[in-house]
Amino acid sequence: MGARPHLSPSLAALMSAAAALAPEAHAQTATGAETDSRVSYRFNDYSEDSLAPGPHLGDPERYRVLSQQFQLATRAGSESAIDVSATHEVMSGSSPWYLLRGPDNRPIQVMSGATIQEHRNEVRASWTQGAGTSSSTTWSASYSQERDYRATALGVERSVPLGDALTLGYGGSFSHDLIDPFEAEKYDRVRHEDKNSASAFGSLAWVIDRASVLQTGLQLNVEHGYLSDPYKLVSVGSSLVDDLRPDRRVQAAWLARYRRAFSAADAALHVNYRYAQDNWGIVSHTVEAAWFQTLPSRWELVPSLRYYSQQQARFYAPYFVDAGSHNFYSSDYRLGTFGALSASFNLRKRIGKWEFSGGVERYHAATDYALGGADAVVPGVVSYTRAFIGLDYLLQ
Amino acid sequence: MVSATHGSDEIHRIKFSSMGCPCELQVEADAQLAERAAAVVQAEVDRLDRKYSHYRDDSFVAMIGASADAGESIVVDNETADLLDFSAALHAQSGGKFDITAGALTRVWDLQSDRVPEASAIEHARSRCGWQRVEWARPNLRLPVPGMRLDLGGVVKEYAADRAAVLCRQIGVEHGIVDLGGDLAVIGAHADGSAWLAGIKAPRDTRQAIAQIELARGGLATSGDYERVMIVDGRRYSHIVDPLSGYPVASFASVSVVADSCLIAGAASTFGMLLGLDSGYAWLRDLGLPFLCIDADGNASGTLARENAEA
Repeated sequence: MGARPHLSPSLAALMSAAAALAPEAHAQTATGAETDSRVSYRFNDYSEDSLAPGPHLGDPERYRVLSQQFQLATRAGSESAIDVSATHEVMSGSSPWYLLRGPDNRPIQVMSGATIQEHRNEVRASWTQGAGTSSSTTWSASYSQERDYRATALGVERSVPLGDALTLGYGGSFSHDLIDPFEAEKYDRVRHEDKNSASAFGSLAWVIDRASVLQTGLQLNVEHGYLSDPYKLVSVGSSLVDDLRPDRRVQAAWLARYRRAFSAADAALHVNYRYAQDNWGIVSHTVEAAWFQTLPSRWELVPSLRYYSQQQARFYAPYFVDAGSHNFYSSDYRLGTFGALSASFNLRKRIGKWEFSGGVERYHAATDYALGGADAVVPGVVSYTRAFIGLDYLLQ
Repeated sequence: MVSATHGSDEIHRIKFSSMGCPCELQVEADAQLAERAAAVVQAEVDRLDRKYSHYRDDSFVAMIGASADAGESIVVDNETADLLDFSAALHAQSGGKFDITAGALTRVWDLQSDRVPEASAIEHARSRCGWQRVEWARPNLRLPVPGMRLDLGGVVKEYAADRAAVLCRQIGVEHGIVDLGGDLAVIGAHADGSAWLAGIKAPRDTRQAIAQIELARGGLATSGDYERVMIVDGRRYSHIVDPLSGYPVASFASVSVVADSCLIAGAASTFGMLLGLDSGYAWLRDLGLPFLCIDADGNASGTLARENAEA
């Protein structure tokens, strides 16, 4: 074969017509083999770095979360697919509680006492109609429970072909969360709060040529209810007050995804960008690139890099000198200005009907990684290391 | 099963017959896996043959024909619906020349009879063709004219080759190639990474290869008239009939195309044939896929002809 052929409009039309008839799409075979079903197990270890050197009170050891997940993905008939999973997490460690204004105006991080082990359980199910076809609908539901938090969510998303090379995706989800803070009486925390979240998105995926796809979309998230953190306090003048945020948050996000296959190298490049802005004043950018490389003997390697930058909420400060004209206060580092760089490396190996996978991610965050974050003061910004191993069994 | 070696690994060649043509599977794997692959491939190709053959009375295509005669619509399964969508797209793109409802015309042109059918018979057959008249609203299909027939011969063999390659990969075969009567789909290159060599038969002597094409991935399909042809008063009539004129196409002896899948290669080679000598060649050249045209005198042209001449 000579040089790689260029793409002509006729070929684009042929490719697009053939895409709907992907031989992979038809699970029905003479042997009745259903190769799309699998059972999976994942073990995940998420470990936050200890508090960075600096003035602090309390235990500097931060969160560690060990989670286990069982998943069953199976075909139900020729056109529908069912996916169910159960996750159990064990969390321990301490977290930033509040910041004190130090003698030289430097904030002092006060940590909560180390928690005993907390547990979280989650079940999740989804059902896809038209699985493996160009027009599909996925319904999903999940329920998560821990000692002080319960969340119930429902969602639906649809994908519809608009033409030879264009696919419309849209959907929405709704979540109802109940918050019953632990030791509410002892620490004078709120009780029996709740919040509702709704999200809607629309996207267009455009097949540019035989090797590349561009997707762009808009997402709108609306949260209403108790959006503060019941476990965090804020220094205002010489007193400590509850973390207090507006009861409504509206966030709009724009995202773009580019996928390009390099068939000669048996590899694919994924590049994603996301811009988000909300009515609290938080603006964020995320850029991500991943390289999917297939190697002989059924190995797959996926190195990836991600950059994140965020500008703080209007009501964020390490501490407030006085109440002034403020209506809301928060010293939660997650609402501050910071940036993060993360690198991960995942691999996967198939042996017969077994598939082994594993990966490690290093995430490092700092205020000066943020765009315009050189002067930001946000103590408590967290870095972490995450590792996972997984085992899948492909059911026939 | 015949075995040979390529490098250190054993190549198993399994010959069988299906879809009315000689088929061959070559895999580079251990004997047990090769046998399993052979069973899976033959079962799959036979399944598609049983389902879509227009020579069998018990095929799904025959059921669709019966529904046309009864004037009823029929609900088709997902796989058939995808094949119909694909065929509809090809019909639109070829300006009506690629037409799976041309079954009645193909039958009128009985190449074994050695005679050109009467003009009235051709007209009668034409009146029972035309995808544009079919009512197709997935998954409901209605052929509006009694006697109308579907002929998926132009896509099913290529689709079957791709399917066979996919199933081989799914059971763990990494190196191999599927050949269904000259329609080829690569499972994976040789274990040492080298390409498979595919021969394209010479029009005049089908035991001889006129070209050797390297295939490391994707598929190769050949559309040609030298296997099914009749010559009346010195004129060649091919099995490829233009549904718009009702007459076989005066075109190349064969057109071969290499693409990412056998299905796409097959559609492109059939288009090249249907469009005829001049516009077919121009269309293939603009398409951008590697191709080879052989004319009635055995002259080769196209991007692959140049490569073979240089080699």
